[in-house]
Amino acid sequence: MPLRRSRTRPRRLWESSRHAAGPAHRSLIDSLRALEAEALEAVRVAEDSGQLERVRVQYLGRKEGRISGVLRGLGTLPPKERPVAGAEANRVKASVARALSERAKSLADHSPVRPAIDLTLPPRHKWRGTVHPVSKVIDDIWAIFRGMGFTRARGPEVDNEWYNFVALNTPLDHPAADEQDTLYLAPGLLLRSHTSPVQIRTMQQYQPPVRIIAPGMAYRRDTYDATHTPAFAQIEGLVVDEGVTFVDFKATLAEFARRFWGPGTQVRFRPSFFPFTEPSAEVDVKRVLRRDDGTTYETDWIEIMGAGMVDPAVLENVGYDAECYTGWAFGMGPGRVALLRHGVRDLRLFYENDMRFLAQFA
Amino acid sequence: MRGAPVEEAVSLSVGLEDIVVGRVEAARLHPGADRLTLCTVSAGGGEVSVVCGAPDVKVGACYPFAPAGAVLPGGFKIGRRKIRGEYSEGMLCSEKELELGTDHAGIMLLEGDFEPGAAFARVMGLDDVRFDVEVTPNRGDLLSHAGIARELHPRGHAAIVAPPFPGGQQGTMDAAFVRGAREAAAGGVRIAIEEPEICSRYLGAVIRGVRVRRSPDWLANRLRAAGARPVNNVVDATNYVMLELGHPLHAFDLAKLADLQVSVGCARPGESIVTLDGETRALAPDMLAIRDAEGPVAVAGVMGGANSEVSAATTDLLLECALFEPRQVRAARRSLGMSTDASYRFERGVDPEAMESALLRAAFLITEVAGGSLDGPVIDVCPVAWKAPVVALRPSRVRQVLGVDFGPDEIAGLLAPLGYEAAGEGRFRVPGYRSYDTLREIDLVEEVARTHGYDAFPEDLGPCRLGTVPDHPLFSLEDALRATLVSDGISEAQTPPLCPEANGDVPVLNPMSAQESRLRRDLLSGLLAHVERNMARGVADVRLFELGTAFAPAPPSAADPVPAETARVAVVLAGRRSPLHWSVPDEPFAVYDAARVLKLIAREAYPNARVVPVEAESEAAGQPANHPGAAAAGLVPDRRYELIDEDGAVVGAGGEVRPERTDLPPWAGVVVGAEVVLPAEPAPRAEVLSKELPEQPASTRDIAMLVPSTTPAGAVLASMRSAGGALLEEARIFDVYEGADLPDGMRSVAFRLRFRARDRTLTEAEIERALRRVTRKVRQDTGVEPRG
Repeated sequence: MPLRRSRTRPRRLWESSRHAAGPAHRSLIDSLRALEAEALEAVRVAEDSGQLERVRVQYLGRKEGRISGVLRGLGTLPPKERPVAGAEANRVKASVARALSERAKSLADHSPVRPAIDLTLPPRHKWRGTVHPVSKVIDDIWAIFRGMGFTRARGPEVDNEWYNFVALNTPLDHPAADEQDTLYLAPGLLLRSHTSPVQIRTMQQYQPPVRIIAPGMAYRRDTYDATHTPAFAQIEGLVVDEGVTFVDFKATLAEFARRFWGPGTQVRFRPSFFPFTEPSAEVDVKRVLRRDDGTTYETDWIEIMGAGMVDPAVLENVGYDAECYTGWAFGMGPGRVALLRHGVRDLRLFYENDMRFLAQFA
Repeated sequence: MRGAPVEEAVSLSVGLEDIVVGRVEAARLHPGADRLTLCTVSAGGGEVSVVCGAPDVKVGACYPFAPAGAVLPGGFKIGRRKIRGEYSEGMLCSEKELELGTDHAGIMLLEGDFEPGAAFARVMGLDDVRFDVEVTPNRGDLLSHAGIARELHPRGHAAIVAPPFPGGQQGTMDAAFVRGAREAAAGGVRIAIEEPEICSRYLGAVIRGVRVRRSPDWLANRLRAAGARPVNNVVDATNYVMLELGHPLHAFDLAKLADLQVSVGCARPGESIVTLDGETRALAPDMLAIRDAEGPVAVAGVMGGANSEVSAATTDLLLECALFEPRQVRAARRSLGMSTDASYRFERGVDPEAMESALLRAAFLITEVAGGSLDGPVIDVCPVAWKAPVVALRPSRVRQVLGVDFGPDEIAGLLAPLGYEAAGEGRFRVPGYRSYDTLREIDLVEEVARTHGYDAFPEDLGPCRLGTVPDHPLFSLEDALRATLVSDGISEAQTPPLCPEANGDVPVLNPMSAQESRLRRDLLSGLLAHVERNMARGVADVRLFELGTAFAPAPPSAADPVPAETARVAVVLAGRRSPLHWSVPDEPFAVYDAARVLKLIAREAYPNARVVPVEAESEAAGQPANHPGAAAAGLVPDRRYELIDEDGAVVGAGGEVRPERTDLPPWAGVVVGAEVVLPAEPAPRAEVLSKELPEQPASTRDIAMLVPSTTPAGAVLASMRSAGGALLEEARIFDVYEGADLPDGMRSVAFRLRFRARDRTLTEAEIERALRRVTRKVRQDTGVEPRG
């Protein structure tokens, strides 16, 4: 392996001239002329436009250029001597510039033809990674709620019956507990069947106002099919404060829906039942989509989330004063949203992680 | 609809257009096959020959018949076929073939006399539409036709009347009642309640002189249309009234009740019962049973016993209409592992105020369709008289929760159609059918909102206060990792954390299958399965990462046996480092990419961590499964790194995946994997403090060293760095050459050194001195010499 030596920069010539003795402008004019000769020689031997450009920078460059440097040195001369030296400096500068442009023209006239290239060859490319479509939905939801002053909270995926059911006003001997067939690790210890236990844990730790969303995994005793997986992403929202009403609840979620699905989106709230909210609602959206020919059409109503005003029993379970504070909450499935968003027929595709499937979302 | 959405409107006859009634006129064994029957079927247009595979074709009986050319509900077209030498001109159908049920065991016998060739859907009462309504668990009052009607009608309950039955003028009967607190008797039957807490009321009507047979067509057809299976006229009458009014009823064969007495109490130890479905069920002492003098004859609220079942021989009945405690019914049916129409309704609460009317309507219907008459007054045992709940509702609370003002009159006006009667001072009397769900003020607030209509509330986005909950820093770390890895060309994967036994140490108590019986111990195993699946589909270039949770069992000593959860990131890389391209040579991923990925992750998660090659057999293999270093155990021993944080703890590992861990096609090359445990509470990343750029020029020198393969190049580099002092700004390896022209066991490693002083331009002599110092130190430390 041969040793390679790199160039060090040449020392700056004008620095010494600034401190020379005798009639100051004489010495300056001498060095200008020496520089001129040196520059003209460099221009003559330059073999291509690149070299020529380096010569230009070396002598006429605004900052480092050696002739430019001398010109800046004019300020140190006695005022009487400046006009003579200035005129000479300008002459040298013009002379070098002229030589440069002439040489550039002659190089252009005589430069060899570069080899032909084929620009229809495929462009260079790199691997593109993709954010998982379900993560992307969560990101987009988060972006909207962040804009409305929410923060993110999280909690354990293994939890106990109190957090998953009891504190959420779902007695274990109530049929509502059947709605979510739960996976257990031990008696009383379970895989959370929704992200709602995060509501409880967050309220236990912080005082109102609470304004959070909680994305995370939830688990149910489901077999894999086109719309179910035993573990799935869920995103929870919770607002608790004084003076929070059903009107705020509707307004905020409708605003979210219009930001997520587009300004023309219609939002419908239907009465429903969840043990931890009252009044409870299912939220549906109807989107306006555009066909290829530019005309628009409305979709069917699509169920997107369960929501409602936080049941006062839930607030009492975490020690909040339910006479003073009210709140609302929602839960939605980003997997289902991603399914609808991308026209995916089978939820399982999201968990098979086929590179060809994922690459579509780049 | 207000309270419950219609899930589906099913036209019951869809797909059955071509099916007709076929009567088997004759049947004989197929001459060419033991298991086949050759039938002569009349189906309107004369008799046809049909080959049938069912073992028990009855001559003279009617079956659904699909003639040649008919299309079955599933889209299958019936053709004229030759089966073992005999032509078959159609098919006698099973329930499953008609998509009416799951019974595939035999062809569907039609009970009764039918006109051959008649449209099957019409004679079965299937020329109807069924609305499937999704009823939430709080709305047991909607589990009947009357309940739905009440919900739909603007005047609510007040508008509901039970109509007369077809062919009659009447819908119910009058009867006297004989009442008792703990027991009462009439018609020769004595009824007693032993557990008033669990059964607060029991009505019994004795009906004598019935004839049990098939129900009239209208009754059977209506039951079928509602999804119930007709049994006989008595049972059908009780089921009909249950579907109509929501109250489960049960008829006992009076002749089979020992000593004509019935008591409602807990099962005795060791008792068991054969229920109507033929199962023998052991009863626990906390289960409520209906018993005669000898033992249990029904599991209260769940299912009757076979020993008292109404049969063709039955002439006298005891008709039961009782009120059982929902939780008790739920507990009993859960421990018996069953659910019935009756238990489903009892669990969700039946209307205590409608018991008498349900009993009388059922009794009337029985006498209409099965004959007979009431014997004596209705027995009414009622230890705990039902009292309607009264709930107070403050208009201020309505305003506080709903954000809209409602006056007291307005509130009363909204609640009245739902059956809530104003009881003065802002209080409301709750009707029986809502008494399970409406117990608190907030429940009435919901009723106000529901009746007013959710759509009628404005959507004014008012001001709000910011919350006190900080954004959890682990989310930001995950966001940063996702962005870093995606921009590196790696795609995000997601894997459900449930896995087979091989990949997890935390068992699930009630898994759906062995494939989902554990919680994963790491993320890498799941990603490797994705590599396998991709390669099995011919996809050779796989770059995946995942952010998620891994689980480890709690240490046996822990007081709280909660598994430990760790947030992690894992990466797999297989195939080409960059897409196939005409200008770039193919280069596969190699172990060095694991180091790079670990550094990418570390930059976000552990800014001060180091990536260190692992000595052949590290202690990680012996570490607990949740230890971050354990991931290294799945990697090829001399081809792996660990990520060591600033405290010296192993937080991750990466390298070449052991080939035996994956089942890959022969063309698959090296698979690189890495996994890092993320900090539970990541510290915010330190702000970058920018350094001033150097003003002085640098000088670079390339130097080639002859490094034995046993000497780590990293050691030579480290030695250079230590010797270079302040002047050596950077030292890096830019080429490694192993060729035949080199001495055995030697490599030529090329280093590029960059020298710079911050305050001056270095002279040639200074640089030469520094170089000599470097080579001397390398020789001293490692014995390595510059190449010739």
